[in-house]
Amino acid sequence: MTRSRNFVPMLVVGVVLIALYFPIMLLANYPAAARALQRGAVLECKTALECSFDMRSPIIPAPAQLLIGFSSLYFPPTSETSVPYNAFFTGLETLSGLLLASIVGLGLSVLLVASRAFERALLPWLVASQTVPIIAIAPMLAVLLGQYGVEGWIPKAIIAAYIAFFPIAIGVSKGLRSPDPIQVDLMKTYNAGSLQTFAKLRFPSSIPYLFTAFKVSVTAALIGAIISESATISGAGLGKMLSENSRASDAVGLWLVMIGSAILGILLVSIVGWLERVVTPWQRNH
Amino acid sequence: MATKPLNVLLFGTAGVFISLLGMILVIANHWNSSEVWSGLSVVLSCVLALVGLLGVGGVSSGVVSLLVAPRAKDKTGFDLGLSMISLLPAILLAVVAVVLVEALIHAFQIPVAQIPAPTAVIQKFLESRQVLWRDTQTTLLEAGIGYVIGASLGILMAILVSRYQFLNKGLMPYATIFSSIPIVALAPVIVKAAGLEWGSKAAVVAITIFFPVLVNTARGLLEVNPLTIDLMRSYAADPRRVFLDLRIPNALPYIFNALKISTTLALIGAIVAEFFGSTGSGLGFRILVETGQASFDSVWAAINIASFLGIVFYNLAALLERRVTGWHVSFRE
Repeated sequence: MTRSRNFVPMLVVGVVLIALYFPIMLLANYPAAARALQRGAVLECKTALECSFDMRSPIIPAPAQLLIGFSSLYFPPTSETSVPYNAFFTGLETLSGLLLASIVGLGLSVLLVASRAFERALLPWLVASQTVPIIAIAPMLAVLLGQYGVEGWIPKAIIAAYIAFFPIAIGVSKGLRSPDPIQVDLMKTYNAGSLQTFAKLRFPSSIPYLFTAFKVSVTAALIGAIISESATISGAGLGKMLSENSRASDAVGLWLVMIGSAILGILLVSIVGWLERVVTPWQRNH
Repeated sequence: MATKPLNVLLFGTAGVFISLLGMILVIANHWNSSEVWSGLSVVLSCVLALVGLLGVGGVSSGVVSLLVAPRAKDKTGFDLGLSMISLLPAILLAVVAVVLVEALIHAFQIPVAQIPAPTAVIQKFLESRQVLWRDTQTTLLEAGIGYVIGASLGILMAILVSRYQFLNKGLMPYATIFSSIPIVALAPVIVKAAGLEWGSKAAVVAITIFFPVLVNTARGLLEVNPLTIDLMRSYAADPRRVFLDLRIPNALPYIFNALKISTTLALIGAIVAEFFGSTGSGLGFRILVETGQASFDSVWAAINIASFLGIVFYNLAALLERRVTGWHVSFRE
């Protein structure tokens, strides 16, 4: 219902955005094209306006260039140099990183909830970690793990996990604490042990919080995976493609990898949303 | 101030533990007779010895008070509203962790090219403080200008969105989609298009921040209680008044929430954008270059500065929030 009402405005805004792309592109490319003509470079185009549409190294690529690049960089999807192939690896690293982070985060939150001393010593640092650009550590961690012989997709998953870990630990420990005192008392009247209370009350009520944390951390974990890929130029991944294209100064390639990462980011967020609906069907207001 | 004997005992034990670690450190240094032994290490050992003495005192007084008053239920003890004291366990943990790392690194003679000792990082920080200060200035400039531009554009756009239903329906779905794009893919494209100067990094920061600020502010401006709108109408308030006296105050907590989140995003954006090209200064640039040369002491120094900046930047936004929206329910006791 809401979708069909939003459709026309979304279409109009989308068309306006695409129409704006041309003048912005021309504005960016025209001076560079004019300079290239003045230098007397041998080009197939006559005027600077024409040249702005097919420069070899455009500032902002023309739509036609993007389409040509798309057919060579996205097909066949199984090729080792294609965007979908590399995006698959990056996505896998991010998801395994999230899994790892939630296991470690869950373990830590159990300790945080179980021990008051532990909480007082550790929680302030967890909270402070939220305001710190943790991503800065990723390149060094990637190189360091490589020195210890951890290579392939594993170090990227570890770094993704490291970045996703802090929001998850905080979210889950909040979730484990979320049951009402009344509910805890009810469990007591059933003569439930603390282990049973944990398994039947605290753990289930922490799962929505886990997914809220996932939504915050999935993009961050993806960024971590991409950065660590670009820091160690081994294996596959979007980060490797980004740093290669950035070094070769291939604007069309960069744009296409960016679009690929954007699609991957949207896909990962919707996978998390889908998982949430499957795992916590009792939550109505998704 | 009466303190809980158990807490005293706890801190005392931690103190003894720290000084034991310090002893391991000193022994390891002598054993390996390494050249890392420096003035800084001497100062550190003195401090550790002092902590150990305090710890011994703490343990004994804790034991004594436990024996004398085994069931002293003094609620005022550590909960006197002294935030420093409530942070003490966390600070102690950090000290223990740092000393432990230092001791282990010296004991096993791990080279700087793998994990630098905390004292080595401090030394490096002091040695190259001028370079690091220049890097800090560059990153602060990029993050700061990008933050201001991105936040003001986001708020302006949100005001337009709240004014025109059409934009709300047409633009907001895109905004949620755009916010799940990883910045790191955006950064090289923008650095390629806008050059290696600081402006390109500021642009990355502005774009990163724009969407969360837009989404949050729009929500705050639009999610107004219908009853209060009816009330305003019964006062015969014109739309301008409704906007100024109702929508804006309603949105302020949302705006500040977005501004606080954005402080971290701004630093991440600036640092990540510097990974993909800069003119030779900036914390991200420093981290990448020094990582390439395996001089991890400089990397750690830069990371620590970035973390410090992140905490300061966030708390500035929080301070502003408390100044402006101190009246809000969430700040009441």
